[in-house]
Amino acid sequence: MNLRRYLLKKAVYVVLTVLLISSVNFFIFQVLPGDPTRVLLPKGGGSGNCTGSQTGGTSCSLRDELIAEWGLNQPVVRRYAIYMGNLLQGNLGTSITIRPGAPVTAIIFPVLSTTLVLVGLATIVTMWVGLVLGRISGWRRGSKTDVSITMTTLLGYSMPSFWVSLLLVFLLAFLIPIFPRPIGIKQSPDFFVQTANTLYYYTLPILAFMITNVAWFSLTLRNSLTDVLPEDYMVTAAAKGLNDRQQLRWHALPNARLPVVTASALYFGWVVSGVIVIETVFNINGFGLLTWTATLDQDYPVLSAVFLVATIGVVIANAVADILYMFLDPRVREA
Amino acid sequence: METPVAAPSPDSTSIFRERLLADLSRGKKTMFAILHKKLALAGLLIILVFVFMAILAPVLVGPYQSFLQLSRPMQSPSAAHPLGTDEYGKDILNILIYGSQVSLLIGFIASLVAMVVGTSVGLAAGFYGKVTDQLLSRATDFFLVIPWLPFVLVLVSVLGRGLQTIIFAIAIVSWPTTARVIRSQVLTLKERQFIERARAIGAGNFHIVRKHILPNVMPLVWAEAVLTISSAVFTEAFLSFFGLGPIGIETWGQMVNNAYNQLAILRGMWWYWAPPGIFITLVVLGFAMLGYGIEEILNPALKRGGGVA
Repeated sequence: MNLRRYLLKKAVYVVLTVLLISSVNFFIFQVLPGDPTRVLLPKGGGSGNCTGSQTGGTSCSLRDELIAEWGLNQPVVRRYAIYMGNLLQGNLGTSITIRPGAPVTAIIFPVLSTTLVLVGLATIVTMWVGLVLGRISGWRRGSKTDVSITMTTLLGYSMPSFWVSLLLVFLLAFLIPIFPRPIGIKQSPDFFVQTANTLYYYTLPILAFMITNVAWFSLTLRNSLTDVLPEDYMVTAAAKGLNDRQQLRWHALPNARLPVVTASALYFGWVVSGVIVIETVFNINGFGLLTWTATLDQDYPVLSAVFLVATIGVVIANAVADILYMFLDPRVREA
Repeated sequence: METPVAAPSPDSTSIFRERLLADLSRGKKTMFAILHKKLALAGLLIILVFVFMAILAPVLVGPYQSFLQLSRPMQSPSAAHPLGTDEYGKDILNILIYGSQVSLLIGFIASLVAMVVGTSVGLAAGFYGKVTDQLLSRATDFFLVIPWLPFVLVLVSVLGRGLQTIIFAIAIVSWPTTARVIRSQVLTLKERQFIERARAIGAGNFHIVRKHILPNVMPLVWAEAVLTISSAVFTEAFLSFFGLGPIGIETWGQMVNNAYNQLAILRGMWWYWAPPGIFITLVVLGFAMLGYGIEEILNPALKRGGGVA
C-alpha cells in the first residue's frame, strides 16, 4: 500500500521532470538568433533580408517556403505545441548539418547501444575497484593505506578526464605501446575476434573513466563504513569471536552499502559527462562523440535531442536508484 | 558516538540525496581531517602560487603575445622557449602562465554569481518553508539532476562563446549544491532559541534573515564559494577543451585541445599538453583542499565520530 503510493509518486515525479526538461530544452533553443534556413541555405540567411541573396543562387521564395513548411513563422506557443506533439510521437526533429534532412532519432539510436555497452563495462569496473578500495580504506581508517587511497582517488577526481585520457594514450599507446592507438577499433568479420578487439580497445577508455570516477564509490563506502564500524553491534560481532572478514561481510557491509546506492544515482549525472569526453578522445562512435560533433557542427536539433535523451536517462537512473534504495533498506520499506 | 540518522521516510527523496551529498563532502572532509590543517595550508599555498603567477605574468614571461610568429612553429623546448612553441610559433610557457589569469577570473566570478543565487535560494527555501520551500527545492533538484557537461555545452552553443555567457553557464550548473547546503543549515538555525527571541521582541522576517540567519550561514557560504571556484575552473577547462572557451583568450583547456588537434601526442610533444593539464588539476585540487579545510576549521562539529585518528 505504502509501497504502491511511493512508486506512484516516483512515477509522477519522473513524468513531471521529463515534461519540464522537454520544455526547458525547447525554450533554450528559442534564444538562438535566426532560423535553421540560415545554416541550410547558402547565403540565404542573414537577418531575413532578401535583396542580397540572389548571388548565392538561393531565392527568397525558397527560404520563405521552408519557413512556412517548418512552421517557423508561427508564434512561439504554437511552435511549442507542435514540438511537444512531435516529441510524444517520438519525433525528435531533423538534423541540419551532420546528416542534413535525416531524422534525429535515426542518428541517435544506432549509436546509443555502443555507449550503453561502454558505460556499462566502465561502471562495473569503476564500482568494483571503488568498493574494494573503499572497503580497505574504511576498515583501516586513519592508517597510511587509508590516507594514500583517499588521496589518490581524490587526485583522480580532480583531474579533467580529457587530460587523463590523453595521458593514458601517451603513456600506454605511444611510449609503451601495449594498447591500441585511438584511431578506431580494428574490424574483423569474426564475431569473437571483433569482441576481443573491442574489449582490447576499450581498456584505456575504461581505465580513464575509472581513474576519474572511482572516488564516488570508494569515498562513499569509506565514509559509510566509518559511520558503521563504531556501532555497538560491531562490538558485539567482534566480541562473539567473528574474524575481520566475517565482521565486515555479515555486519558492516550490509549497513554501509545504502549510501553507495545513492552515490550511484548522482554518479549517473557524471557518467554522461565522462562518456562525452572519453568517446571523443578515443574516437568511439557513440552518443558522446555525437554530442561533440553536434556541438562542433552546430547541429542544434541533434544537440537538443542529445541533451534531452541524456537528461531523461539520468532522471530515470535516479528514480531507479531511489527505488532500489527502498528495497535494500528495511527501515524504509517498513516505514 | 552518535548513531546514524533515523530512518528516512520514503516520501522525501531529497533526504537520500542530501545524505549522499553530506556523505561525499563528509568523506572528503574526514579525509582532510586526517591532515586537515596541513592540507588547507597546502591548498592555500597552491592557490597563492597561481594568484601570484596571474598577477606577475608580465614579469615572469614578458608581455602577452598577441601576434603570430610563423617562422618558428612547433619547436622543442630550448633555453629561449622552455616549453617550446605552438603551431603559431607562440611561446607555450607564455600562454600557460597567462592562462592562470583566465582560469582564476572565470573561477572567481562564476563562483560569486553561483553564491549569490545559491545563498538566496537556500535562505528563502529554508526560512520561508511551505510552498516556497517546495518550489525552490524542486527547482534545485531539477538543476541538480541535469548532467552538467551537456547542459553547459548546450548553453554556450546557444548563447555564444562570450566570457559572460561562459560564466553564466558555469554559474547555472554550480548554484544548486550551495542552495541545498545553505537550506539545511537554515532549517536547523531557524529552530534555535535566539531566532525565537528575536521574533518575540518584534523583529521582522527580513531583519531576522539579515541580522541573525545570514551571519550564521556566512562561514558555510565562504567554504562553498571556495569549493565552487574549484568546480568552476574544472567546468571551464571542459568547455575550452570542447572548443567552447572564451573567444580570443587562450585557456588551459584550449591549449590541451590545440595540442590534441596538432597531434602533439603522436609527435611526443608532452611539453605542449601535459603542463596545462597539471595546472588545471593543481588549481582544482588547491581550491578543493582549501574549501574543505575552511569547513573543517569553521565547524569542528562536522568532524564527528567514526574513529578518524
